[in-house]
Amino acid sequence: MRDDNDKKTAVTVMSKADAYAQAGKTAVLQNIHGTLQFLQRFPPFNQMENAHLAFLVEQCQLRFYSPGDSILKPSGGPVEHFYIVKQGRVVGERPDSAETTFEITTGECFPLAALLGERATRTEHKAAEDTFCLQLNKPAFIKLFALSSPFRDFALRGVSSLLDQVNQQVQQKAVETLGTQYSLNTRLGELAMRHPVTCSPTTPLREAVTLMHEQQVGSIVIVDEHKAPLGIFTLRDLRQVVADGTSDFSRAIEGHMTQAPFFLTPDHSAFDAAIAMTERHIAHVCLVKEQRLCGVVSERDLFSLQRVDLVHLARTIRNAPRVDNLVAIRGEIGQLVERMLAHGASSTQITHIITLLNDHTVCRVIELTLAEKGDPGVPFSWLCFGSEGRREQTLYTDQDNGILFDAKDAAEAAEMRGRLLPLAQQINQSLALCGFSLCKGNIMAGNPELCLSRAEWARRFAAFIREATPENLLGSSIYFDLRVVWGDERGCEQLRQGILDQVADNRLFQRMLAENALRQRPPVGRFREFVLTRKGGEKATLDLKVQGLTPFVDGARLLALANGIHANNTLERLRQLVVKEVIEPLDGAAYEEAYHFIQQTRMQQHQLQTRENQPYSNRVDPDSLNHLDRRILRESLRQAQRLQSSLTLRYQL
Amino acid sequence: MSLFNWLRTKKPGLDSTQQQRLEQLCKPSPLGNEPLRSQRWVVVDLETSGLNLNRDQVLSIGAVVIEDGAVDFSQMFERTLQRAETRLSPSVLIHGLGPSAIAAGSDPAEALLDFMEFVGDSPLLAFHAPFDQHMLCRALKDSLGYRLAHPFLDVADIAPLLCPDAHIREAGLDDWINHFNLHVGERHHASADALATAELMLILFSRARAQHIDTPQALLERLSQWKRRKHAPSF
Repeated sequence: MRDDNDKKTAVTVMSKADAYAQAGKTAVLQNIHGTLQFLQRFPPFNQMENAHLAFLVEQCQLRFYSPGDSILKPSGGPVEHFYIVKQGRVVGERPDSAETTFEITTGECFPLAALLGERATRTEHKAAEDTFCLQLNKPAFIKLFALSSPFRDFALRGVSSLLDQVNQQVQQKAVETLGTQYSLNTRLGELAMRHPVTCSPTTPLREAVTLMHEQQVGSIVIVDEHKAPLGIFTLRDLRQVVADGTSDFSRAIEGHMTQAPFFLTPDHSAFDAAIAMTERHIAHVCLVKEQRLCGVVSERDLFSLQRVDLVHLARTIRNAPRVDNLVAIRGEIGQLVERMLAHGASSTQITHIITLLNDHTVCRVIELTLAEKGDPGVPFSWLCFGSEGRREQTLYTDQDNGILFDAKDAAEAAEMRGRLLPLAQQINQSLALCGFSLCKGNIMAGNPELCLSRAEWARRFAAFIREATPENLLGSSIYFDLRVVWGDERGCEQLRQGILDQVADNRLFQRMLAENALRQRPPVGRFREFVLTRKGGEKATLDLKVQGLTPFVDGARLLALANGIHANNTLERLRQLVVKEVIEPLDGAAYEEAYHFIQQTRMQQHQLQTRENQPYSNRVDPDSLNHLDRRILRESLRQAQRLQSSLTLRYQL
Repeated sequence: MSLFNWLRTKKPGLDSTQQQRLEQLCKPSPLGNEPLRSQRWVVVDLETSGLNLNRDQVLSIGAVVIEDGAVDFSQMFERTLQRAETRLSPSVLIHGLGPSAIAAGSDPAEALLDFMEFVGDSPLLAFHAPFDQHMLCRALKDSLGYRLAHPFLDVADIAPLLCPDAHIREAGLDDWINHFNLHVGERHHASADALATAELMLILFSRARAQHIDTPQALLERLSQWKRRKHAPSF
């Protein structure tokens, strides 16, 4: 009986306590809520579920640190807490030097690597000014890590997920201002609204043309009984038929169509189609799904989409009657890039297009020069090196080129060189007129040392690898990104295979390349946010190309050469390194995004300079960027640092 | 009925459980000589129906704890008190507690018991503490018949004591928040003010350690000296 009474009281107390706890909870939420709202301004907290975030806040302690106070130090043993800077600034100092290695400000957190690695921090974390940190104990961190996937992603990938967010924002912005229909990423399936006009191979020409006329289309696709495309007949073909004086319009269309037309799937993007048209000089692309024709995308569909006259531009370049015309067209490429940037195209798409148009210009200059000076009677290939070789050109670019030909022996090579050099020099001059500035280092085909037979090139490259002098290392970083722009590609591929075989065997050379790749240190962290160079009275700036992109380019080249990867393009190299399991997929993605962001920033900078009639420069003042861009640039440069430290580790430097 | 008896009478409205809880409340411990960091402090802020010390009522209590030198987010207190006869006065514009919020609040006796259990034996801190101390004393006496004897330190005194170079006279909480450039969120309720005051105290404790004021007792002594000097006629 007494027990019962006790139980009863216990029950009433319990339920009252619950009620209070409940009432208390809603009330407490006001302060928790305030902190929650604060955190929601920053990644990854802005992507976390409210319940998880509330759990985080409720487990936190708020601590204050005066300037110079040590928050974490290497001698402190395994890290027991996760910190979020609520306000103030935390800097990192390596034990061996008083140099600041990084800086953490409001909304950012630390020390992820040490916490995940269950070790002490390698860097002393000190408050640089009056600083408040939210401190989360390790058990709560672990629980959160298990509960919340955005938090886990962030902890593992760091900056990378940050970049994802920006990319999404940029794309969203482009979509908002331009509407989805103006995106180069539009699926072709969405573009080809009309049913394609088709006929069978035996259809008489007259009937086919009548069909095109009735349907008001510029092309008709010839299909078999399973709707598989056999050929295409366009208005251009009709012009040809008329010009040829064919009078028999009752003959089957089979005889006049272009066979085995180029096709893409409906899932390819508008960008893919634009590139295909530019590369192949075609105006129509068939869409094929499961071997059945399901649509046709015309040049005009893309024009109305983008108002970017890419295909037209490419064709004008290829048909330019004189070098003067090419010079005029170059200006249009600048406008094209401007429009594409405005339409939200990515830096990768833009470098790709610039490379394509530049390749077309080079080819046309070669063709025009050959027509003017006459064929030298020696088959040759036009090589390009450096950024052109990697397909990473921006509008402002030097010439880095050479000539490759086949010769029996030294005597024949010298004789052929004598015939090719005047031509090469003429091409160099014409290219200079078209806006490819002459190379200050004379890395040009008109230089006798760069107009070589395959054996001579092979010997030269072997020397680079064998004798790792500073000049040779610099040379390898330019010449080993070689590619054929004009002419037969087989000789070049053989040269490349030779390079790959020799580098794979030569650990010493790899080590030297690695040292070389560490020369340009990304300018983060030593002074406030960025390490800036100040020239005279100018504003402090950093060099996006040399300090930002070069570490990625050099690192990717080294790893690609060492692992037998044929690709030249830095992003392509990174992707293949991931496939070959040389680098972790998450690292590869992070490097790619970081590289991409720096390149994008650099291009926007160039466009701005053009608009303001300033000389173009790769130097940027970080203060001129908005807060988010600045932070991402800093994080991107940190990824470059990570790539470098992985090289240090790999090659024990 | 003698005065003595009247004092002994149970407060009407307290049931046996409440009476039991009241009797079990901790006695305040005096400020000792252990390091400042090991002292648990309760930072409190009240919303009242007005500024009249004798007539106005406590409407809500917000409190945060500083323990182990940090504000502990798992220990936060906030209660709105149910007040039947609150008049709608202009101060509603300041505390933002409308009649409906107050009607939905907790029974004052329960809320105050909860609060005193939350406080335990810890000393209290508040900005312009005499006001909060007086209002809280009265509310505890009226609702529980409880005499508040906890040490009550005024942050508005500690701040100028430890930051003599600040040169802000008669500074309010906002002035100190600006002085230290504290980023605080919206402060329209007692708990947010308590949190802001607690953040201010974290800075002040750090200043105290830098000035070799290492124990709560030492802080109290320096505070009394400072107050005596302030009130002494200057020549």
